[in-house]
Amino acid sequence: MNKHPMFSERGPAFWWTGFTALIASGTIFILFVSLVIESVPVFKAEGISFLWGTDWFAGEAYGALPMVFGSLVVTGLAVVIVLPFALGSAILTSEFLNGRLRLMVKAAMELLAGVPGIIYGLMGIALLTVWVRDVFGLIDGNTLFTAGLLLAVMILPTVMTLAEDALRAVPGEFRDTALSLGLTRMETVLKVVVPEALPGLAGAVFLGLGRAMGETIAVMLVIGGIDRIPQPWFNLFAPGQNIPSKIGREAAEALGFDVQWSALIALGLLLFVMVMTLTSAGNFLLGKAR
Amino acid sequence: MPRRFSMQLIMGIALTLLGAGVSVQVWLGGWTQVFAQGSSTVIRVAGSTTVLPIVSPAAERFQIRNPSVKITVNAGGSGVGIHGAGTRRLDIGLASREITPKENNRYASSQLNSIVIGRDAVACVVSSEIFNSGVHSLSKQQIGDIYLGKITNWQQVGGPDRSIIVIDKETHRGTRHVFMQYLFGKPNARAPGARLVTGSNNEEQAKIAQSDAAIGMLSMAWINDDVVGIGIRDGRQVIQPTLENVRSGSFPIARNLNLITAGNPVGAAKQFIDYLLSPEGQKIVEASGYISIHSPQAVSQVAGSHSK
Repeated sequence: MNKHPMFSERGPAFWWTGFTALIASGTIFILFVSLVIESVPVFKAEGISFLWGTDWFAGEAYGALPMVFGSLVVTGLAVVIVLPFALGSAILTSEFLNGRLRLMVKAAMELLAGVPGIIYGLMGIALLTVWVRDVFGLIDGNTLFTAGLLLAVMILPTVMTLAEDALRAVPGEFRDTALSLGLTRMETVLKVVVPEALPGLAGAVFLGLGRAMGETIAVMLVIGGIDRIPQPWFNLFAPGQNIPSKIGREAAEALGFDVQWSALIALGLLLFVMVMTLTSAGNFLLGKAR
Repeated sequence: MPRRFSMQLIMGIALTLLGAGVSVQVWLGGWTQVFAQGSSTVIRVAGSTTVLPIVSPAAERFQIRNPSVKITVNAGGSGVGIHGAGTRRLDIGLASREITPKENNRYASSQLNSIVIGRDAVACVVSSEIFNSGVHSLSKQQIGDIYLGKITNWQQVGGPDRSIIVIDKETHRGTRHVFMQYLFGKPNARAPGARLVTGSNNEEQAKIAQSDAAIGMLSMAWINDDVVGIGIRDGRQVIQPTLENVRSGSFPIARNLNLITAGNPVGAAKQFIDYLLSPEGQKIVEASGYISIHSPQAVSQVAGSHSK
């Protein structure tokens, strides 16, 4: 048998690190399998229509659609709002700032990325809901839009720093060549650097989406908490519900019992699949960019 | 609009956090006991945010007197309290409602036992702006129609021309059970007119205070200047949510505040419960804005009507 250098020496170090790696990668597998197993009762009770049922009332009916809808809407909204700001500041930092100034902006962004969700939630319930209500003349500020806006602020640093990395990864010769061909600074950025960094930029957005989709407490405090798809469905200034917020509100009561628990786990499974898809897509694109 | 709720808002969020944390706490409850067994006894308490204001200060005082006992107190709601006691993740569950037959069946093996430590009322509350504009009372029918979505504007009940922000609560909450039982004769009635769903008393209080057109349900002890309790109108009579009216039995939405244990309480948990039932514990009940179990059924009840 061919001896790969990796396996050449199977000392204690190999076995120990192998063990830890197995635990780490096994966790995700076990998590997934247990989510699937625990979701079985709700699919038995509600059938596959659990996925598109629009009515959820503990003990009576379980339909996931309002929560799935809410999750997709608030994350989609967050990306639409965050994109111009994240890209703009990434381009500024990568293309126009250098040295210390750039590091300062990056450091500030990375600090922002570390702010706990509850702090955003606090700001959200104390300020954002009131602003949204007053600015848009609504009767109440706890809406899907508010949640999307709050999430946009929350994922801004993630998207911005990753996008900046992607832009920086474009080799300097590209810029030099473009400039020497007579393109302006603006044209160089928009027609050469950005297209070149596109997979990386897309990856940054997907990872940001993944974070936004799983955020719980901040969204829970501003989304309204009602398991309903707005009428009409594109009315973003109506209250709604997303998956993490729903689980956060009901988990402690249902803990380990009944169809209700299974329904919450099934929601968790849906979220897990959605976030995994986004994150893998993001990582794939980022990898391609490097 | 004057806003004085910043403090209460922060409290609200702190308690909401506690509520969110309780699930983890309850999960880990078994382990904390394992780790803590060495030096001291731990009493795990969680549940209704209505009963919490009694139990938190009582736990502090009890621990000063009994340094070997540690009491962990968490929020979560009545459903969480009953669930925790039923699954023995909690030594004492807090519930501001009675155990439902369904819950009794579910935890049959735990022999759930409830001990009344005080009495409270659930008031129908509105934003101060609505109260100040003249809506001082509503009939049961009107409140019901608001929650069913048949009445959607304050103008329909004598208020300003403004949409009603109807605030509902999570379905397992004690306050909701009692309120819905009163309105619709069913603790789990649906409220299609609702716009927002809140959890703890704090969260609901904060959202009503923030709005200028909200209606909600709140434990009597949580009423303040921003969140005003309105009278229940019955014919020509209006019954205000006051301690006297609850004591006399004339306010219609009253309830017991319960401690839930699996079987009869023993050991430190029993001592703590006895402390809550003692004259000193009952003083805490009254100081928190509730009614003591020793409080005599008021004379007014004998006299007939105390309500105005």
